[in-house]
Amino acid sequence: MEQGQKIVGKEPIIELRHINKHFGSVQVLKDVSLTVHKGEVVVIIGPSGSGKSTLCRTINRLETIDSGEIVIDGAVLPQEGKQLAALRSQIGMVFQSFNLFAHKRILDNVTVAPRDVLHTPKKQAEAEAMELLRRVGVGDQAHKVPAQLSGGQQQRVAIARALAMHPKAILFDEPTSALDPEMIGEVLDVMTELAREGMTMVIVTHEMAFAKAIADRVVFLEDGQIVEESTDPKAFFDEPATERARLFLRALEH
Amino acid sequence: MSITALLTQFGDRYLAALWTTYKLTALSFILAAALGIVITVMRISPIRPLRIAADLYVQVFRNIPGAALLILLVYALPYLQVVLSYFTCVLTATTLIPAAFCSEYLMSGMNTISPGQIEAARSLGMTFLQMIKNVVLPQAVRSSVLPMTNLLVATMLTTALASQVPLSPTDLTGIVSYISTHAVGGVTAFLISAALYCATAVVIGQVGNLIDRKVRILR
Ligand SMILES: Nc1ncnc2c1ncn2[C@@H]1O[C@H](COP(=O)(O)OP(=O)(O)OP(=O)(O)O)[C@@H](O)[C@H]1O
Ligand SMILES: [Mg+2]
Repeated sequence: MEQGQKIVGKEPIIELRHINKHFGSVQVLKDVSLTVHKGEVVVIIGPSGSGKSTLCRTINRLETIDSGEIVIDGAVLPQEGKQLAALRSQIGMVFQSFNLFAHKRILDNVTVAPRDVLHTPKKQAEAEAMELLRRVGVGDQAHKVPAQLSGGQQQRVAIARALAMHPKAILFDEPTSALDPEMIGEVLDVMTELAREGMTMVIVTHEMAFAKAIADRVVFLEDGQIVEESTDPKAFFDEPATERARLFLRALEH
Repeated sequence: MSITALLTQFGDRYLAALWTTYKLTALSFILAAALGIVITVMRISPIRPLRIAADLYVQVFRNIPGAALLILLVYALPYLQVVLSYFTCVLTATTLIPAAFCSEYLMSGMNTISPGQIEAARSLGMTFLQMIKNVVLPQAVRSSVLPMTNLLVATMLTTALASQVPLSPTDLTGIVSYISTHAVGGVTAFLISAALYCATAVVIGQVGNLIDRKVRILR
């Protein structure tokens, strides 16, 4: 994919400062610092268990941290309560397992948060939702319930649901790992389109070709630490600077 | 006495008794459902004292015999300067107990919700109560229609407690003792009441099945 003259801003949207996180006695994030700028697509790769999901989930505090600081567009992420909810609403999240609301129609899945959290009037929320659903190619599914849709369709709805909040950034935790192979492409296409439009994105993925194409920056995580970070994804994937990244990428080829 | 003779003589009273039972059942169930929802939300709330209080409530009222509770309400409350009418005493007993069961059914209905949906709700910026309202309760309620149907029947049977206090008009169970003391009703008087309870339970069951089929969540 040709990124052309895409401009990544200098304005930080997400800042992680010296994040440490334990699960019991195991330290899963070790002094992780990472800044994501406006319009930037950051792809996080690394072996299973390296802490990619945990890192992604700490950004909107679905996972608490032991120490460090998380700043969203200049505001420090609070511990709990209404302010946390308000900041969360500015960061979208797309999960491996879609997590659509099982009892709600597709349209209502997309409108529920804008209506209740942002107080968007019903008519307007529905019009926006239909527009988003059409954009991700599931406009004709609006009146079904999630269980009636394929995995690929459900994941595209999940992306529309996140977009409906007009987020400052969207986090993707392995968005295609639960999909049948023939459906991976349709989801990656939507994400590529979003990146092209300038959405700020943090993506955890095992799809290396996609990562190479979409990333403005690649972060290689191993054992809870950022081992290598590169703003030149092509160079990183062709010839990583660290031995550990090289071993990881080589292992994937086989 | 034959059924016909009984019904000619006491038909109006049976109707009034049926009405009392229905009224108590409906009121109890509505109040129990409302209370059960509040208790359930407390049980899953992030505030520990609320959780403890609500768990305690369920433990107590799930296990207390209805008659014991009614006796407490009728005879013990006046010592605390609280005097309730007999009807209110019965209604309170037949609300407090089913509310505990209602909460238990809602809790198991909640277990059908995948944790991922909760995370999705939180990541969309919903507060705890918004998440409860939009995601948790609707699914818990829709997945517990059948147990709730059973609870409605159980609540109706619990309203037979009303026969233990002087109520006018009395309920479907109370009328059996009324007839026994005013005529030779014998087992027939009891059979009529039993038939009315059964018929109502069957109708409730059928309607419950219909509703369940309509609102069941596809997964
Ligand atoms: N809730 C939890 N409780 C305890 N340990 C956990 C929990 N979640 C994750 N872990 C552990 O934390 C470490 C990092 O997990 P994480 O899910 O972030 O890895 P990952 O890089 O996303 O892996 P994968 O590629 O398999 O998704 C792992 O060792 C995992 O076993
Ligand atoms: Mg993971």
